[in-house]
Amino acid sequence: MPPAQPLVRVRNLYKSFTRGSETIDVLQDLNLDVGQAEFLALMGPSGSGKTTLLNLIAGLDQPTSGTIMVGDNVISEMSESELARWRTRHVGFVFQFYYLLPVLTAYENVELPLLLLPLSRQQRRKQVETALELVGLSHRMHHRPGQLSGGQQQRVGIARAIVTDPELIVADEPTGDLDTRSANEILTLLDTLRSQLGKTIIMVTHDPKAAARAQRVLHLEKGQLVHDTAAAPLLAAQAS
Amino acid sequence: MMYGLPVDFVPTGYDPSLFMLAGYLLGLLATLILGAIVLGILTLPAFFLVLFGVEQLASVVAHLSGAFAAKLVVIMFRGLRRAPLRTSLTYVALFSLTFVLCLIYAVLFLINYVTAEKEANFKAIVTHKTLIPSQMPPGYYEEFKRVCLEELPPELRPVNGDLDLMSWSFVLTTTDKTNPRRDALIFLFALEPNKVLTMMDGLEELTGDERQQLQAAADEMMRNPQAIVMSKRQLKTLNLQVGQRVKSYGMNYPNLTFEFEIIGELPEGRYEGVAFMNRVYLLQLLDAYRNDRTVNKTGEPHPMAEKCVNLMWVRLPNRMAFERLSALINDPKYFGKVPIKMETASSGIGSWLAAYKDIFWGMKYILVPAMIAIMSLVVANAISISVRERRTEMAVLKVLGFQPRHVLALVLGEALLVGFLAGIMSSGLAWGALGSFKFQIMFFGSFFVPVQSLIYAPALGMTVAVAGSIGPAWNAKNVKVAEVFARLS
Ligand SMILES: Nc1ncnc2c1ncn2[C@@H]1O[C@H](COP(=O)(O)OP(=O)(O)OP(=O)(O)O)[C@@H](O)[C@H]1O
Ligand SMILES: [Mg+2]
Repeated sequence: MPPAQPLVRVRNLYKSFTRGSETIDVLQDLNLDVGQAEFLALMGPSGSGKTTLLNLIAGLDQPTSGTIMVGDNVISEMSESELARWRTRHVGFVFQFYYLLPVLTAYENVELPLLLLPLSRQQRRKQVETALELVGLSHRMHHRPGQLSGGQQQRVGIARAIVTDPELIVADEPTGDLDTRSANEILTLLDTLRSQLGKTIIMVTHDPKAAARAQRVLHLEKGQLVHDTAAAPLLAAQAS
Repeated sequence: MMYGLPVDFVPTGYDPSLFMLAGYLLGLLATLILGAIVLGILTLPAFFLVLFGVEQLASVVAHLSGAFAAKLVVIMFRGLRRAPLRTSLTYVALFSLTFVLCLIYAVLFLINYVTAEKEANFKAIVTHKTLIPSQMPPGYYEEFKRVCLEELPPELRPVNGDLDLMSWSFVLTTTDKTNPRRDALIFLFALEPNKVLTMMDGLEELTGDERQQLQAAADEMMRNPQAIVMSKRQLKTLNLQVGQRVKSYGMNYPNLTFEFEIIGELPEGRYEGVAFMNRVYLLQLLDAYRNDRTVNKTGEPHPMAEKCVNLMWVRLPNRMAFERLSALINDPKYFGKVPIKMETASSGIGSWLAAYKDIFWGMKYILVPAMIAIMSLVVANAISISVRERRTEMAVLKVLGFQPRHVLALVLGEALLVGFLAGIMSSGLAWGALGSFKFQIMFFGSFFVPVQSLIYAPALGMTVAVAGSIGPAWNAKNVKVAEVFARLS
């Protein structure tokens, strides 16, 4: 399934944290390719480093060593402010707890990342409306997060993630806080983003049923990715 | 006892014991703070209206310029307006703080103002050395004038000659002889009307209409010794009007019957509860008493005839003149009948305030700074809590691509804006509204809030707001978003 040129390429990635005198090696010599328009699920025990890996791929943190490329950008070499600029255009984030700004309406929440781009008001409106329509919330545009259900808030979160039209979407347990029905709707939505808009999606989840919706599932254990169900042969080939 | 005024008219009704005064001040402070909070709440709609107005302006600018800074400002305003409770609390806290500061500043300013010695052209006041209320013979005023204008070396004499001298006699009368209730009393200063505008504290600075009216009234009083001017409030209490004649009976001048003609009002907020009369009329009546066989069978002079000057004033060119004149005043060669003393006007008030010196000192250097510090801490802490609450929000903004400096600008800008508006509104209110109530302080001038408050209050508001938010804002700016989310999820 992964095409010749992967969108995300992670090579020899190390990440460790120091807490006091103690050093925790979370990721050790990790390699990963994620193809264009691929839906990848990351699983693994709590504390195995799933969020850490996701943050690194999304440019929220810098690796101890190793390289991360997303598209043509070597994000592991960018400065913090370069990363911030890069994130606006190239990654969308979906959080377990949505993290919408409670004082802004759905519309304004979705509009936030666009403020950082040189767009006219009309262009912004068009993009916000398109994104909200995509997640099926056109009729709730002017509601505030407090007035929306969990599933609806997560859909606003997804609209915010796609509004700048990034090629990569990362989601950290996006269904972790939702009931089964809402969770299914969110997963369907993510799958649509992949199939219709060609987005690459990396999703962390604890739920095997959610993971089953992805095209490929990877397990993170002891700082390494194991049990690459669909593409194990490919990875093995690359490693050699 | 200020200038030996009759006890009833010394405008301090409370026991001057320091403890009572301290308690009184604390009570006043608590009331003030409560009042300020209420005012802050009352002005909330105006605050939000201003906020809304400025926001509209900012969004027009943002729209036209497309500048990111302008967009940030718009986000900031939205944040403020959409979180009305948080914003209101911050505003009310900052408003109360700056409002109380304005008033305290005004009081300290006033105390400084009245106790400050003016080096040139300052007024000196002459009273009986020991007697309270001070009483001096009328001849003393004539002699005082002569000494000032002839005995002093020419370069030390009052610059405007006779116009720089004035005498006051306190005359308490009642319109109701049988039942001299408080609301039937007329309390007058008998003086030379042509000097009212140049020699009376709080009236010298009048300009425009009030000055013209008072000048006209003074001219009329010079022509007609029975003419008097009265404060509005007293006219109201007595149920009298300008133009009326009124018969009033002497109380500290028994057996004198005054027939006054009310020809004008005193400017509001000055010398409330007092009327001015021509001293000539008092002297005429004292004279007439001697020959009035219906009340004075023996033909003796009136018992008050030799005691009818209470205070004498002189404006002197400099300190040296004061020293020289002081020596002459103490010389029995000139003033042998009763001993008298001279003080500067400010030392007159100063010595009255001297009893409270420790309290004022404490107020200025301990209470006020401590209070400002404590209130600032409380307010800053409240602001800091509200900023810390939004740590995750800030992290989310950073995830979306906002730079650390944007986050800092958002938080600080918000604080600066609310601090500025709260300061402007509180000082504007204190300065504009309270200034025009014209609270009278003693007999002189009116309480006013110095115009500098309009700068100090917003400055304090912004400082406190920034002090409260800089710490958490700095944290939010530097927060590693990865940490926020790794820990949370
Ligand atoms: N900023 C940090 N400082 C120190 N240690 C950290 C930091 N972030 C993560 N860790 C540690 O790294 C390890 C991996 O954390 P991470 O959040 O990636 O796990 P996770 O797989 O997402 O777990 P969960 O399923 O509970 O979300 C943990 O031991 C965590 O305590
Ligand atoms: Mg995690």
